Amino acid sequence: MEYYTLSRYAYWKYYFLVFYYRLAEYPAPVRAWLVFGSLCLLLLALIVLGNALRVFAHYRFEYLVHHTRERYYERMKMVVTQARTLEPQEISAILELPKNFKMKERQNRSFIPSLTELKQEMGESLSRPNWVRLMQTLKMPAYFESQILSRSVRKKVQGFKDVSDLDANLKEAVASRYLFTKNRKLQMHARLHAARFGTSYPFKVLEDDPNLIFTDEMVVKYHNVLVYRQKNGLAMPNFIRWCNRSPVNEELRIFAVNEIRLFKRKEDCSELLGMLEACRDEAFSCALIRTLGELEYLPAEAEFCRRYVSASFTERQVLAEALGALGSGNSETLSFMVEDFLQTTDYVTRMVLLRVIYRYGDKGKAAYEKLKAEAVPDLMPYFSHIECDLIDSRRYA
Amino acid sequence: MLEWFDSAFAVFVAIYSSILLASYVAMCILAFLEHRKHYTYHDDAYTIEELKKSPYIPGVSIVAPAYNEEKTVITNVKSLLSLDYPDFEVVIVNDGSKDKTLELLIENFDLVKVPYAYVEKIKTKPFKGLYKTRSDNPAFKRLTVVDKVNGGTKADASNAGVNVVSNKFFVCTDVDCVLDKYALYRIIWPTMASTRRVIAVSATMRMSNGSIVEEGKMVDARPPHELIPLFQDLEYTRSFLIGKTALARINALQNVSGGFGMFDRDIVIKAGGYDGDSFAEDMDMIARMVRYMCDTGEDYRIVQIPETCCWTEGPPNLKVLNRQRTRWGRGLFQFFGVHRDMVGNRNYRRYGVLTLMYIMIFELLAPVVELIGYLSILWFILRGAVNYHTIWVAYLGVYTFAQLLTMVIISFDNWVGTSFKRKSDYLWFVLASLLEPILYHPINVFFSIRGYWKHIWGTQMVWGNMTRKGVQSAKPAAPKPAAPVFTQPQEQENKNDA
Repeated sequence: MEYYTLSRYAYWKYYFLVFYYRLAEYPAPVRAWLVFGSLCLLLLALIVLGNALRVFAHYRFEYLVHHTRERYYERMKMVVTQARTLEPQEISAILELPKNFKMKERQNRSFIPSLTELKQEMGESLSRPNWVRLMQTLKMPAYFESQILSRSVRKKVQGFKDVSDLDANLKEAVASRYLFTKNRKLQMHARLHAARFGTSYPFKVLEDDPNLIFTDEMVVKYHNVLVYRQKNGLAMPNFIRWCNRSPVNEELRIFAVNEIRLFKRKEDCSELLGMLEACRDEAFSCALIRTLGELEYLPAEAEFCRRYVSASFTERQVLAEALGALGSGNSETLSFMVEDFLQTTDYVTRMVLLRVIYRYGDKGKAAYEKLKAEAVPDLMPYFSHIECDLIDSRRYA
Repeated sequence: MLEWFDSAFAVFVAIYSSILLASYVAMCILAFLEHRKHYTYHDDAYTIEELKKSPYIPGVSIVAPAYNEEKTVITNVKSLLSLDYPDFEVVIVNDGSKDKTLELLIENFDLVKVPYAYVEKIKTKPFKGLYKTRSDNPAFKRLTVVDKVNGGTKADASNAGVNVVSNKFFVCTDVDCVLDKYALYRIIWPTMASTRRVIAVSATMRMSNGSIVEEGKMVDARPPHELIPLFQDLEYTRSFLIGKTALARINALQNVSGGFGMFDRDIVIKAGGYDGDSFAEDMDMIARMVRYMCDTGEDYRIVQIPETCCWTEGPPNLKVLNRQRTRWGRGLFQFFGVHRDMVGNRNYRRYGVLTLMYIMIFELLAPVVELIGYLSILWFILRGAVNYHTIWVAYLGVYTFAQLLTMVIISFDNWVGTSFKRKSDYLWFVLASLLEPILYHPINVFFSIRGYWKHIWGTQMVWGNMTRKGVQSAKPAAPKPAAPVFTQPQEQENKNDA
């Protein structure tokens, strides 16, 4: 009897043919179900294996994070609490790092939770120069750079987030290559990174992008970036330029106006008033009115009164709030608010007007009492509502 | 004639089941793409930190109807008030409770009736009053209690809550649901990250049976260790992580759960609020919101988020499961009667063309097809027309596919951030998956058919009392006698339906 040794390919082919001819004996539906069942079994086995590996990797990484924290946390804390700026060798000595210290990617990653915790715990008392040097000693900037330059989008995005969380010192050029990438999320993170750490004027990409979609997520993140820049003494953008130079993006203009309000830039109010006079868009005009009102820019009162007559209910509510915030005590303003309270059909506008009148100084109080005395029974619940301190009537909707 | 019937039925079953299996595969692929996107771009801790710092964070109202909840209401309201979010309010609607629910709320939160100018934007049973706290406790200041005449349904109570909410978005939940501490951050985020108007957000819900809850807060999320809630937990996870995620990916989500979901208040009001007559009021609400958006030509999105934000107590026994599923079956039948004009209608975009068609063929008709299948098998066995040498292959194929789906959801859950502390807890899912096709599925088919039957013959549904077993507490508590918590049948049933 002769024996043949099959090659790897022939080996698989042999079993495939055995399987195929065994199957061929059965009718077509049975064959189809057998193939389907086998495929399902194969996939099931692969997924089980994948899950097992993932769970194993998870536990191994958790152990590593725990180990890193146990070993380095207190030592890192010693570094960042030093008043004197330490040399890299001194930091290595405190951390007891070996000579020619090198870390694998996952080891670098295991430091991130500890570093984040340390930064949060230390807050303002953290020594910034020592923090930067600690990161350099641990080769974190190089790690972040490799993450951002890797092929995985997740790693890139996560890299940007970690840099932002840990205030890591990274080359501007690393982020700049993604400022105009087609992936909008990645582009947003790169731009946020540039806006946070950029030393020149990093907002130019925002101003000049005709395809910009400025979502509420970006509003939240850019505001946080601007707060960071102000806190760290970095150059702030010229919001008025954003208002004027971005006619294609209404959201960015509204954001700029709101930022003027939040950063209390009263010097920009005269220009905002000029914009309001020419404005036809409701959302933008509401932002302008709210800002001018909250910044108590009294010259805007006449324009508010002029707009009121032709405004929508939403805009009227904002105008009434703004007039209340200005609190000029002007009798004419008060009288038309009283008039509109009696005429308006919208219950929210009526409530806003009544609240503003009630808080509009002595004259307002007197007008309120008069209105109350003359009010029809249907309107009485509004008065009781306004007078009750337990209800936050600003939030009536 | 008999042979002709055999062949025709075999062809029908082959086509039906092939399309169904193909749709499951397609949904798995769509869900995978969505989870991959979420995994790539979303970082929970980072998002929460960003939102916490921002003055732009939108306010959220939580609407939770309560009926005869005196045993649990205080703990649950405290739990809701302790959520982590800078700007939220909790609106508890006391739907004419006959026990001391309102009195306990007044006493514990130092409430007083205030002269609130109530406007009935959505028609409800009469409003009796609104209560606010006199306490200086800032957490209590977030609480509003609405007292109204009993409307008999959760829908009516929810509508009264919607009438008083002061924020653009509101979360609809049940008083006895346990919410994740960061649930509000997670559910609001899609509305901010989307370039289109988000009108509703659905979040993943799980069973709280088996979990450890302390003071209304989830301490240790675990799968239920009893079969029926365990089956339902598996079913929920599959539905949220595959079905709903896939449909949300193509903007065709059919339902935002009444147990925990966020809605755009203005659209809900314009769509007329919840329908008190519907047995599937949450699905009906989404249909009417979609109808409104499509009729007015506005662009919209309905989003599903994979993170578990809410735990609810599932039916502990067959009796309660029967009531729940019968009601769901009846609700589904009723839904298609009310919204039949939307089915296959291109005006309602993918929702009408894809989702409603799919649900009609593979959810509404599936129990009927399955019942015919069971009867046919019996008939074939009696006639000796079954080939026992090969039939097992088909069953093995379907069974293996069911196990594959379970492994896929375990992978997805593990991938997007599981709520289980111990990975070994997934073994309970594997156990449930092995038994589900044999035990749970045929029972559900029967209950659904029963619901259809009741709807067709207009049988008045009589709801019994529900004995809640309650979730495990971390602290040992004195044993309490199980008492019927709910005496209002329809309301109680709504609570059991997530």
